[in-house]
Amino acid sequence: MMQLIWNGLIVGSFYSLVALGYSMVYGIIKLLNFAHGDIYMLGAFVGFLVLSSFGGIPAAMSIPALLVILLLAMVVTGLIGVAIERVAYRPLRSSPRLAVLITAIGVSFTLEYGIRQLFGPNPRAFPVRLSSESFDVLGMRVSLSQLVLVVVAAVLMFVLAHIVERTREGRAMRAIALDPQAAHLMGVNVNRVIATVFFIGSALAGAAGVMAGAYYGSIDFLMGFVIGLKAFTAAVIGGIGNLYGAMLGGLLLGLLESFGAAWLGGEWRDVFSFAILIVILTFKPTGLLGARVVERM
Amino acid sequence: MSARSPRPSRIITTLLAAGAIAITAGCSGGIAGGNDPGESGAAPEGPIALGMLAPFSGSESAFGVYMQQGAELAIQEINADGGVLGQELELVVEDDACDATTSVAAANKLVTEGIVASVGGYCSGATLPTLPIFDQAGIPMVIPAANSNDLPDAGLPGVFLINGTGTQQAQSAVQYAQQEGATTVAVIDDATSYSADLAEAFVEQADAAGVEVAFEATVTPGENDYASVATQLAQAAPDLVYWTGYYQEGALINRQSVDAGFEGIFMVADGSIDASFAEITGEGYIENVVGTFTQTPDMLVGAESWIADYEELAGAAPGPYSTQAYDAVRIVAQAMEDAGSTEFDAVVTALEGLEDFETFAGPLTFTEDHTRESGGFVIVSIDPESGQFVLKDDLQG
Repeated sequence: MMQLIWNGLIVGSFYSLVALGYSMVYGIIKLLNFAHGDIYMLGAFVGFLVLSSFGGIPAAMSIPALLVILLLAMVVTGLIGVAIERVAYRPLRSSPRLAVLITAIGVSFTLEYGIRQLFGPNPRAFPVRLSSESFDVLGMRVSLSQLVLVVVAAVLMFVLAHIVERTREGRAMRAIALDPQAAHLMGVNVNRVIATVFFIGSALAGAAGVMAGAYYGSIDFLMGFVIGLKAFTAAVIGGIGNLYGAMLGGLLLGLLESFGAAWLGGEWRDVFSFAILIVILTFKPTGLLGARVVERM
Repeated sequence: MSARSPRPSRIITTLLAAGAIAITAGCSGGIAGGNDPGESGAAPEGPIALGMLAPFSGSESAFGVYMQQGAELAIQEINADGGVLGQELELVVEDDACDATTSVAAANKLVTEGIVASVGGYCSGATLPTLPIFDQAGIPMVIPAANSNDLPDAGLPGVFLINGTGTQQAQSAVQYAQQEGATTVAVIDDATSYSADLAEAFVEQADAAGVEVAFEATVTPGENDYASVATQLAQAAPDLVYWTGYYQEGALINRQSVDAGFEGIFMVADGSIDASFAEITGEGYIENVVGTFTQTPDMLVGAESWIADYEELAGAAPGPYSTQAYDAVRIVAQAMEDAGSTEFDAVVTALEGLEDFETFAGPLTFTEDHTRESGGFVIVSIDPESGQFVLKDDLQG
């Protein structure tokens, strides 16, 4: 039982980190950024590239080295996110929403198959692995790497919550989410704030990608696809646009999958978790923590 | 169409070949006429063309080259030995791109080029739709690599498989499990048809052999986290688990299972035999891994001279399915020799009559459904130095 919860939390923290980016971007410009899952994949490949160019890293140094790589990958994927917004979304901001949805899908395919051309179609082994020596706590097998992973995810989410709620930049984000035109009239630099949101959201996804590479050990150009869909689901369940909702939705989806697989078998896992999600949405269409829907013109 | 064909050289070659056949036919009265066997007309005139469909483009293209070169080597040897029925063999290859649509067009092309037997077929999905085409044209098929149970299940008289099928692979897996003294086993598949069929065959054969199947699971491919199935596997604690999917998921499941406390043997099927398996699963996690695999040239014992001949012909080392393609040509040649003819019924009867024909994968006799009676699979394990799968047990002892 405890083991199932722990397993679910691990997967859930990946979902949460990726879901945050979905949720933030949707909250601020009402765009379903389907390329977001691929930013996660890019994060993993940035980490892969940097680590392989360094050559071997002694096992004792692997955690500090990974943290450095993590920050580096976050900066790189953050900048890529900003660039994507600038090239593929900003010019279309006043166009029909469907057009931006299609450019998002276009960006997604461009990233996936671009990486495939560069790194080949086969899965690559991540050069640094977190050691997975485990110990028993409360009847669970917990490994050091899992702890590191959960702690890093929690720290990132905490920092994010702090930025959004306590800083000027965060206040501007919330203002734009409420009403971009009014925010603009009040002197908020809308373009800059949206770029910041893309930077933060992409950096979180990139961080999740590096951690996935180091934890699971295998990366490939399509790794962002499934997690992108799951994270999107998590964001909707939690109430898209709501940050705590994205975190909660991610953890909930991870737990549902873990229990579904244990109770009904792996082949029924997605049936089980998504059936429950349908039920949740039927009773609470705005998602668990979804705010009152404010319709804008 | 022909005027704009993207490959005019091919048409010219075909025309030249046709011309060559006409010329040879014209001379045959003088050269071959004397030693014609009793049944005149049954023996072919001019070179005997064998057709091969294999992937030469796309992700599987490396295997097409290995197969072609293996077949060329067999043909070279047979021709040096005087050919078949007094005629030389020649190989006509076409690209099937491992794709059903392309393979149908390519099969029709081979038929019009006048092949008398087919020695190709790598991807089962691309080979299956070509079966009726060759059947209607009266061309027997000895399929070197494709091994889906759908192929014999099509029930066509001229289809023979020399690679082991899922049934034989499951057989070797169970045989090895028993050899290692396993009393309980588990099986995990990835819900694809190849994987699920193999898992089913494994469960059937384990039951038949009296080995208890303690745990069965299906996972979704393309994910990273298999902790839940790993936890369940560790709790069921079988002596051996058989993974029937591909290497990426297999490597992750192996690692996560060991982390979850699984201590048995992790056995993988041929879809997981890849050097990347060791890399992904990581150091310290490979000692318990074995696999069932079709024999490849580097696993052969005492085949140095064969490999040297191959390298001389191809300019590169043999690879997977070189030996099977080589054997397919030899089998067809032997059957034609036995039949004294290249005519369909006679060749099929001769193929059915082959007994313990020596192949790289052990002696071959065809069963009623035209698959190998036994063998074809060996047990491999990971070499800690190179991370490659190497021969561990050929299951013939």
